[in-house]
Amino acid sequence: MSRRSALLLFFIVITSIVVQVSLLPIFVISPFKPDLLLVIMVFIALRGPFEAGAPLAWILGMLNDVCSGLFLGLNAATFLISFLIIKSVSGRMYAGSSLLFVLTVLGVTFVNFALSLILMVLFTTTSGIVYSMFTDFLPHLLINAFVASVVTLFPNFDEQVPTT
Amino acid sequence: MDFLKKYTYQLLIGGCVLAALLFFSLNVPRSREANVIERTTLSLLSPLLQPVYRFSGFVEDIRDRYLLLVDTHNENIRLREDIRALNLRVHEANEALLENWRLEQLLNMKKRFKEPMIAASVIGEDVTSWFRSLVINRGSSNGVRGGMAVISAEGVVGQTVKVSATTSRVLLLTDHASGISAINQRSRARGVVKGRGEMNCSLEFTTRGEDVKVGDILITSGIGGVFLKGIPIGEVTMVKRGEYGIFQTVSVRPATNLPHLEEVLIVQRGGYE
Repeated sequence: MSRRSALLLFFIVITSIVVQVSLLPIFVISPFKPDLLLVIMVFIALRGPFEAGAPLAWILGMLNDVCSGLFLGLNAATFLISFLIIKSVSGRMYAGSSLLFVLTVLGVTFVNFALSLILMVLFTTTSGIVYSMFTDFLPHLLINAFVASVVTLFPNFDEQVPTT
Repeated sequence: MDFLKKYTYQLLIGGCVLAALLFFSLNVPRSREANVIERTTLSLLSPLLQPVYRFSGFVEDIRDRYLLLVDTHNENIRLREDIRALNLRVHEANEALLENWRLEQLLNMKKRFKEPMIAASVIGEDVTSWFRSLVINRGSSNGVRGGMAVISAEGVVGQTVKVSATTSRVLLLTDHASGISAINQRSRARGVVKGRGEMNCSLEFTTRGEDVKVGDILITSGIGGVFLKGIPIGEVTMVKRGEYGIFQTVSVRPATNLPHLEEVLIVQRGGYE
């Protein structure tokens, strides 16, 4: 990843966190909070190099954990697993496709949900959270897909991320 | 005759002046009436005066309505700016008034208890939808520790978790991981208020025989050492006693309006490093 890409990514991640923590909760009701860091992770998984992408996915998950819930490392683990799943198949696909990006975000939202659910049931004692997660799942899925589709409208979306 | 010939010009001028003065003096008593000369002159001029006057009116209109519109436009912009500035000041004054009212309520709550408290503002919320937490602008540098009670003017908000130097996360009482020992203010029935993820909670471990009714107010019991005794937690909105089972199902609406929370108090008691 070039220095310019890294700086741009850093800026986008920081902006996303600020928007997600302080801005969106004022205007958006709870189930419709988009997972901006997840969308960024999917973008990196589809376009970026593996060596930089894997630790980045974990870091993005950690950032998500810092701003959410009690369990540090939960999203870090699910993001990393999701990244590895995407990376294992992304080489055989046309990663520049907008439709593929939206579908991947949908799929990863589902995978992330399932993994979080499994990890929390296995390792924590927050029994009632399953109900909340299920009730919020569909709006969460739809809003993430919406955000992903908005991202595809950005100029230069089709460009490959420079790797050097 | 030589005299007349010699001074003809001067005499003519003097006569004219005298005639003019005579004419003037004769007309002084009838100064409010139009004489023949005036009437005739006015009658003759009126056909000319009217269109010229209209034309000059038209020119004046152009000057006033079009040329001077530049000033009107500028004035309009200035007045709009003034209105905007005044509206902003009215808005700020209203906001200050409301903030003052909220802080007064918060101060009243603070006065009820002897423990030291720190005021904090909410600066963020949980990024996911299935956890319920807030971010406040006070941290360890302000004396905040994990596990301290957070309250508002209306009642319990939650407790601090994950404290950094300048900010803290507050686990809301509606989070699934939250549990607060409670007493029914009316019947003194005991239980534990647990979060249900949405903007409501449930009263757990209250046996079927306990007297709990819709509309009852639940307050903190003080057991556990985190929350002081007597802080409102919420109001009972539903009670269901099944045919079987030891406990009854009780839904609770939090006393604090959590989605619109702006200022909170952190009770500086207990907590962990």
